[in-house]
Amino acid sequence: MTIDVQELDQLVQPTRLHKRLYTDPAIFELEMERIWGQAWIFIGHESQVPNTGDYFSTHINHKIPVLMVRDKAARVHVLHNRCPHKGARIVENRSGNVRGAFRCPYHGWTFQFDGSLVKIPNEKGYDGTGFEINSACNNLAPVAQYDSYRGFVFATLSAEAPPLKEWLGGAIACFDNLCDRSPEGEVEVAGGVLRYEHDCNWKFILENLNDTMHPMVVHQSVVQSAQSYIESLPADATRERSEAEIILPFGSSYEKFEDSGITGFRYGHHYDGGKSSIHADYAVMPAYHAAMVQAYGEERTRDIYSFNTHNTLYYPSLTIKTAVQNIRVVRPIAVDRFIVETWSFRLKGAPDEMLQRTLLYSRLINSAMGMVGPDDLAVYRRAQEGLASTGHDWVEFHRGFGKDVTLADRVTAGGTSDLDMRTQYKAWKEYMTGEAFR
Amino acid sequence: MNMPSLQTIEHFLQDEADLLDCADLENWINLFTEDGTYWMPATPDQDDPLNHISHIYDDRVMMEIRKRNFVHPRAASKEPTIRCSHLLGNIRLHGVSSDGLLRVESKFHVVVWYRESQRIYAGRCEHLLRQEEDQLKIYRKRVDLLNADGPQQSLILYL
Repeated sequence: MTIDVQELDQLVQPTRLHKRLYTDPAIFELEMERIWGQAWIFIGHESQVPNTGDYFSTHINHKIPVLMVRDKAARVHVLHNRCPHKGARIVENRSGNVRGAFRCPYHGWTFQFDGSLVKIPNEKGYDGTGFEINSACNNLAPVAQYDSYRGFVFATLSAEAPPLKEWLGGAIACFDNLCDRSPEGEVEVAGGVLRYEHDCNWKFILENLNDTMHPMVVHQSVVQSAQSYIESLPADATRERSEAEIILPFGSSYEKFEDSGITGFRYGHHYDGGKSSIHADYAVMPAYHAAMVQAYGEERTRDIYSFNTHNTLYYPSLTIKTAVQNIRVVRPIAVDRFIVETWSFRLKGAPDEMLQRTLLYSRLINSAMGMVGPDDLAVYRRAQEGLASTGHDWVEFHRGFGKDVTLADRVTAGGTSDLDMRTQYKAWKEYMTGEAFR
Repeated sequence: MNMPSLQTIEHFLQDEADLLDCADLENWINLFTEDGTYWMPATPDQDDPLNHISHIYDDRVMMEIRKRNFVHPRAASKEPTIRCSHLLGNIRLHGVSSDGLLRVESKFHVVVWYRESQRIYAGRCEHLLRQEEDQLKIYRKRVDLLNADGPQQSLILYL
């Protein structure tokens, strides 16, 4: 089934979206083909495959299996995880190491880590059949384009997508800030992954990231629970704990969120915060600060700290927290189902306490057993089920409409604006109607 | 610490599980030593709660916050009824360490009822118990889910 451009145009209007965007399986399939099938999708980080033959496998949209692998020349490739012979997935596990070469478990075809065919068992049976053993079509197919920026590997199924750096645009500053927070200018995945099943449409989490009108409502319970515990402590008890620094700012005022601002870019990318965010008042660990000053000097170190964003979305698959050093990756499954992966990063050259705080954050906030993520999911679920109602056909996002400030490569507004919605649905429409890369 | 009988430990674990099934977090938290922790790792054989991600790693302070959050009237995830039912078995005593901790292993099945559906959690549990005056206390409870490294749904209870 296809949906014509006029119909798509009607579904996404300047200040409202039709409920079908969240509930219609035909729209979901089109999104997988036109958004997830064209945009640069985050695959993984190079540090997940440090050695030759290390691989990490995932899906580029809801179905298409791909793998990231490091070859003998230390180059990282993103290949289709599918044997060119009969179609079997080449690797089964989510990650691992293969010695020597990939070997298909079905008929034993073997492939180099760059995907090129090495050998077919008993290959003389192909003699004189017209089968071209040296043809590239017998290799593990590379994804149309793949590239990395500061270790973050993206791939796109579209040959027409602009180069990765151009596509990231001004939002690239957030990758720089995340990596520059390392005294060595590099980050690496550390401490494992959390995978959290969400039984709702994938767009809810993207809309929630920089929806700064929700934290004081949805997270009021955990903030007040923490506050009431702190107030119950005797006067001389220690109140300074990383948990308090992490949880309490979720209750920040509308004014504080408004002041922190929001910035949108082409292709749907955006971040909130910048000069400040709910992560800005974390204690600076002395050993970390000393390592930073030694690496960058006092002034540059202050500059790095002072760019403090809340969430940066690289639409549609990746959201990063520069000041926390974790990321969340969206992996869609069906119109009402997706998985969020939370990965934590070590700042190379920083003391272990920094990674421990990152992991504490991921555990408290992003775990399916946390006190923040489950309340977010609970309201997405209510929206998913509420949208079945025939009482209204639209969801609205008027906040700040007509007041965005347009600059050369970006659009800015006060932090409680719905600029994040306008930014991502502009991209949604461009991808869905075939205009994105024209 | 003297080695308690298997029956004493069995009753202790059953009483603990019953407090969770009755959502009596107040009394459940009091089973822990002041420096006690509850740990649910996110991978099998995980040996580090600080330098590796876990689903939960709570000390008494975080337990106190969860206890308050659990009954907060504005926690959207807690509005639907949530109940659990523990079944314990294969309880084994592994002796007392030189620092006075008794290690107990058990297996569990927990059925959770939430948002009009029932799901099952299974796995292995390790209790490190310490004798404080005339009471057994939990120094650490470690819960290894069978699917610790799999995708998880919201779970807003201690198992």
